[in-house]
Amino acid sequence: MASRICRLIRPVTTTFARKNGLNTLSGLQQNQNFLKRQSSTTGTTKQPTVATRNPLIRKSLTDFGAYVAECLPKYVQKVHVLFHDELEIMIHPDGIVPVLFFLKEHTNAQFMNIVDIAGVDKPTLENRFEIVYMLQSLQFNSRIRIKTYTDELTPIESACSVFPGANWYEREIWDMFGVFFANHPDLRRILTDYGFEGHPFRKDFPLSGYVEVRYDDEVKRVVVEPLELTQEFRKFEANTPWETFPAHRLSEGNEKPTAKPEEKK
Amino acid sequence: MLRLWPLRQVAKVQNVLGGLTQIATKSSQPVPAPELVEVFIDDKQIFVEPGTTVLQACAVAGVEIPRFCYHDRLSIAGNCRMCLVEVERSAKPVASCAMPVIKGMKVKTDSPMTRKAREGVMEFLLVNHPLDCPICDQGGECDLQDQSMAFGSDRSRFTDNAFTGKRAVEDKNIGPLIKTIMTRCIHCTRCIRFASEIAGVDDLGTSGRGTEMQVGTYVEKMFKSELSGNVIDLCPVGALTSKPYAFTARPWEIRKIESIDVMDAVGSNIVVSMRTNEVMRILPRLNEEINEEWISDKTRFAYDGLKRQRLTTPFIRVNDELVPTDWETAFVKIAEKVKSTEHASIAGVAGKFADAEAMVCLKDMINRLGGEILCTEESFPMTTSGQVFGLILIDFRSNYILNSKIAGIEQSDLILLIGTNPRLEAPLVNARIRKTWVHNEVCVALLGAPVDLSYDYQYLGDSYTVLKDLTTGKHPLCQALSKAKKPLIILGTDCLQRDDSHIILNAVRELSENVKKTCSNKDWKIFNVLQQSASQVGALDLGYQPGVQAVKTVKPQVLFMLGADAASFKRQDLCYNATIIYIGHHGDYGAQMADIVLPAAAYTEKDAIYVNTEGRVQIGRQAVSPPGVARHDWKIIRALSEILGVTLPYDKIGDVRSRLAEISPSFNYPGQVSDSGFETQAYKLQSELKPKVAEPCPNPIVPNKLKLRDFFMTDPISRASLTMAKCIQACDESEKNPYSKREAV
Amino acid sequence: MATNRLVQQGVKQVKPLLSVDRTEARRRVLNLYKAWYRQIPYALKAFNIPVSVKRAQDKLRELFLKNKHVTDIRAIDMLVIKGQMDLVETANIWKQRTHIMMFFKDTVNPKPTDFLSKFYEGQD
Repeated sequence: MASRICRLIRPVTTTFARKNGLNTLSGLQQNQNFLKRQSSTTGTTKQPTVATRNPLIRKSLTDFGAYVAECLPKYVQKVHVLFHDELEIMIHPDGIVPVLFFLKEHTNAQFMNIVDIAGVDKPTLENRFEIVYMLQSLQFNSRIRIKTYTDELTPIESACSVFPGANWYEREIWDMFGVFFANHPDLRRILTDYGFEGHPFRKDFPLSGYVEVRYDDEVKRVVVEPLELTQEFRKFEANTPWETFPAHRLSEGNEKPTAKPEEKK
Repeated sequence: MLRLWPLRQVAKVQNVLGGLTQIATKSSQPVPAPELVEVFIDDKQIFVEPGTTVLQACAVAGVEIPRFCYHDRLSIAGNCRMCLVEVERSAKPVASCAMPVIKGMKVKTDSPMTRKAREGVMEFLLVNHPLDCPICDQGGECDLQDQSMAFGSDRSRFTDNAFTGKRAVEDKNIGPLIKTIMTRCIHCTRCIRFASEIAGVDDLGTSGRGTEMQVGTYVEKMFKSELSGNVIDLCPVGALTSKPYAFTARPWEIRKIESIDVMDAVGSNIVVSMRTNEVMRILPRLNEEINEEWISDKTRFAYDGLKRQRLTTPFIRVNDELVPTDWETAFVKIAEKVKSTEHASIAGVAGKFADAEAMVCLKDMINRLGGEILCTEESFPMTTSGQVFGLILIDFRSNYILNSKIAGIEQSDLILLIGTNPRLEAPLVNARIRKTWVHNEVCVALLGAPVDLSYDYQYLGDSYTVLKDLTTGKHPLCQALSKAKKPLIILGTDCLQRDDSHIILNAVRELSENVKKTCSNKDWKIFNVLQQSASQVGALDLGYQPGVQAVKTVKPQVLFMLGADAASFKRQDLCYNATIIYIGHHGDYGAQMADIVLPAAAYTEKDAIYVNTEGRVQIGRQAVSPPGVARHDWKIIRALSEILGVTLPYDKIGDVRSRLAEISPSFNYPGQVSDSGFETQAYKLQSELKPKVAEPCPNPIVPNKLKLRDFFMTDPISRASLTMAKCIQACDESEKNPYSKREAV
Repeated sequence: MATNRLVQQGVKQVKPLLSVDRTEARRRVLNLYKAWYRQIPYALKAFNIPVSVKRAQDKLRELFLKNKHVTDIRAIDMLVIKGQMDLVETANIWKQRTHIMMFFKDTVNPKPTDFLSKFYEGQD
């Protein structure tokens, strides 16, 4: 098994390392480009400040993504590089520990650092929760994002065995979304109050919550009561006080000219 | 001092010049056979009437052009240059607000040239504009802020003021309502044009030129107008802001509730701004048929009266002193009293802020108890003498409303005002008359006190004989009346409070019938009554009797007062052991007189229906909750009815409203107004009635409010308002100011 | 043993949370109930709760019976997990009196329904 991996890795090692060299090179180049753009834009043209794409970085990310997919065909379902050169790997929930382990310990990856674990609630999907792991490789100055999915009742394997730092992140997701992490060393609430019911980051959790808390002078303690909003908080104003010239605003950016939809009519 | 021409003259001159003013002044005179002009806005083809300005054509095409000086309802100044647009085959960008369209014109509203022009104008405007947005009350709703964000540059090439500092202008003191920070002024002259064109007060103007130009009153004096607050809304920057609202709230943190004003019977549409359960300010809401986009100063500034002298808990009179109590105790006390009285001796009086829901609840409750007497405070001739429950003229709606409607004033060509001072009784009706006078050259005649109406009128005198002459056709005005295509006769209600009111009303009706006979336009309503209190039309619609005469005659033992604070009767007028129950929101005359006080909600604190002087049903919305344990008026009566054993079948406000619609179908159509009918029948019935007194009394027919100082404090809310008190003080000081224009009368 | 594996395979379709079958889930619920039951006297004492042991036991029973309708094994497990966490929070005195008293909802008054009491209460 180990030898197989080594065989697979061997030829890639060099390419990734070379790519990495290019990485720093391209970074320099990018800086130069940026400076050039700076000096040219002080004139009249207005361009929104958005991150630019770097084809070299992009190429190395694409290659690495393909390599990961090749190494872990059982778990990796999809790999893609986002517009701004960010690598994303979609995996099956069963593969969390192996994939994370691979990315952490592989010589050419060395994503040693777990930056964050996030949850996303998409109530329309069958597996409504998306769990996103964000890793960083200090060695290669690179970041990666791993996404997997689950529903309300399916447990997800805890990443604590690979990244001890995942402990609190997973507690947070348990608290906020109610996703259960199996084999977590200390799974309990982290943000909400004791006795709090529900998971606030779920989309079906109301903005106002279910209860209100106040100090009761009669019983001399804090009491929790069903929510009863005062007049002022019952209505919300949705429209913005800004944007008095929405038509002109659209044309300011280089999105699309305002005249177009009108022409269609 | 440079002044703009009075618009009347401008209009005359421009009429000679041709079609330009047709659009500019929104004249209602029809353009003869308009041949549409084809123009291209951003390559989009549209057809507009000739004389339309480029800016208006752009609006038709759906492109909003940035502007500061241009305003729909004011004359065109063209001095801010913000509306510059590129027009094909024109060397320079064109000020779109002042440029009429030409056939085949190609306008580019978003071309590089247009953008550069806007950016340049903005740069110039900001050269001398202070960057004090963080401490400016306009911040967040400032046109200059918005437009500099949208169209301005992020830097200026003008660096001189880094050494010299920006231009600074001394602030002017123009009264207790408007705060001026004149350094912020960008000289759009909207306030000047508003003052001279809409308000009809030539107080504001500019002095100096170039950098030295200043907007102000030249000598320090008060901007003496009942509509002065509107310049705050008009000012595109923070030069004119509200003094009472200064530094109290920011526009993004307040909630806006669309409601209805009750300070007069016009029923102006307003927006109540609320924060932390407190009314922060009141702004006008656009309604072309009522207030356009203006409101009077009382509407705008009397809101601080809602926070003072409020009743927040029920009171019971013990040993001639009002003692706070709770609802149950107060209700039980009332129930005891009602039980021990003869039920026919229970009466109700509705005050000027009473909403329709509360009035119908009170009426139903008293009727269920067996009482019949329900009246309003304001009188209106309705019966023959001595006959209290006789024929009631108010069965005919056309007898007591403004039949031709507020917007209808604009169509008229002759207006006869009788015993009224519309400027102070209904400032927005007066603004309409002035608008008609300016644009349509309507002829106005006034019978009453020679007050300042902000426009010229023919003064007919103030005696009854003039009215008599008019009815008999002896008066020289009669010729004009008979020639007029759409004459209007507007009768004030002040002269109907007198003993001989019946004679006056009869004479005016007779006059309008006479005019109607000669009038070519048979559908045109000639007879109009200008009501003064917000509740009056609603109360009469619901079957209340106008005036407290019935109360004085019958001397009831239990009297319910629904916010009756006009001091129209005294305790002595009632039965010697009468119990007075006051339901209202302010500790005013009514509460002082009462034995039991029940705290109710003011107009910003309840969802309530009001009927304005046109008979238009409008729904006001709750902005804040009533203070203390005060409750909504109709709920108080509903709860009380349960205690009294005559439970009203209304649990929800919807139930009350369906009851209202049962009584008068007009309550089904809020916001709308239907034509009144049966004028002739009403007149015939009326002429058969015998007047209460045979001879008209010799007193002159004059309205109560003559000078601006009389305008500010008329009701419990404005009497509790500090701002209104300051206005009166300022008016008195202004009288002493040698530079201030003397008020007539 | 063999049947047990079969059952396990059958359940494998959905990943089990804790329990593989109903009996196991039931056992867990009963265990949790018993643990809470035993904890009640100590908790009442530790938090100085002005409630009798009997009433607390009734409340415990009420709270368990509130979820009587739950039949999905994983849903039962999830409730057991949360109940277990709650118990730990109580037993370790991480909670405060307020949190214990939240079970009893003693300050919540029933909402008035008729017009007059609503009026006195000042509710819409």
